[in-house]
Amino acid sequence: MSQASYGLNKILTAIARRHLLKDALTDAEMAGHALSEAERAALRAGDIGRLYELGANPYLIRRVFRRRFTV
Amino acid sequence: MAEIVAAALTSHAPLITGKPDVSKPEQRDRLYAGFHEVRRRLAAARPDLLVMLVNDHLQNFAYDNLPAFCVGLAASYDAPSEGGAKLMRLAPRKIAGRPDWAMALLEGGLAAGIDFAYSYEIESWDELSVPLHFLLPEGDVPIVTVYTNCAAPPLPTPRRCREVGAFVGGFIRSRPARERVALLATGGLSHWVGTPETGRINPDFDQRVLDHVVRGDVEPLTRLTHDEIERDGGNGGQEIRNWIALFGALPGWKGEVLAYEPVTEWITGCATVWVRP
Repeated sequence: MSQASYGLNKILTAIARRHLLKDALTDAEMAGHALSEAERAALRAGDIGRLYELGANPYLIRRVFRRRFTV
Repeated sequence: MAEIVAAALTSHAPLITGKPDVSKPEQRDRLYAGFHEVRRRLAAARPDLLVMLVNDHLQNFAYDNLPAFCVGLAASYDAPSEGGAKLMRLAPRKIAGRPDWAMALLEGGLAAGIDFAYSYEIESWDELSVPLHFLLPEGDVPIVTVYTNCAAPPLPTPRRCREVGAFVGGFIRSRPARERVALLATGGLSHWVGTPETGRINPDFDQRVLDHVVRGDVEPLTRLTHDEIERDGGNGGQEIRNWIALFGALPGWKGEVLAYEPVTEWITGCATVWVRP
């Protein structure tokens, strides 16, 4: 994987630990988190491929955006 | 003296129990039969304790604190928790730990230069919950866990995992108490989880790993780099570290493959393996 993004992984971990599934994140959910504009855009879009490129851990992508996967 | 009376390897994946209906029935039945055979043999070995070599999936250890190796000191494990139970379609339950035994392992490790981290509270995901659903349906054998970071690179090397496993095996055999200990490693084989290749399985990689396991010769596996495993086995394939650790604990032992199924619908090359002297 690419260089891990601590900001992305921190917010995704918080969601995964609550066993929540998301299609996308809202600006309100991202408020206060240290995220780049590119990271916010990918979370807002639920863009699982882009999140991987930006350094989100793939296990967390799968956990949080489970419904975005076709398999 | 304590003795190691049983050992096995199994895959773990949430969908094995979470979506049994989406798999091909014949594949599901063969894999489940493999789990049931491990269960039968494990029960026949009458272990007092099950030591589990497993990995977290960022449920417990996240990027704010990520141990390479961690001994579980929990009095009991959520296997699964209520939240995890929904996704794995299992009943939430607690499996008893053996914190006294685990503390001895931890202290022994630190004294021997194996710098384990430790945790008093662990919420299991599929690494414990799915195999134990099959293997300890009554939850009547306490467990001790050794967690290895297989999910959040950089990861410990396979060679180091074998060394840690060797310590665990030596520790068990050095126990003066008359204990019957079983060893179980879970994880693998090839799977790509959450990456752009999600759903890919590489049966060639899986067979290569199983061939080494059957021969009891994991030395070539310890030489694999992170990138080689990632390329051929996927990010989920990194979990073979747990298998390698088990063979570290049991030099000379060999595997007997009870089931191997590359289950596309569960996005995992799934196996159950009995390991014997």
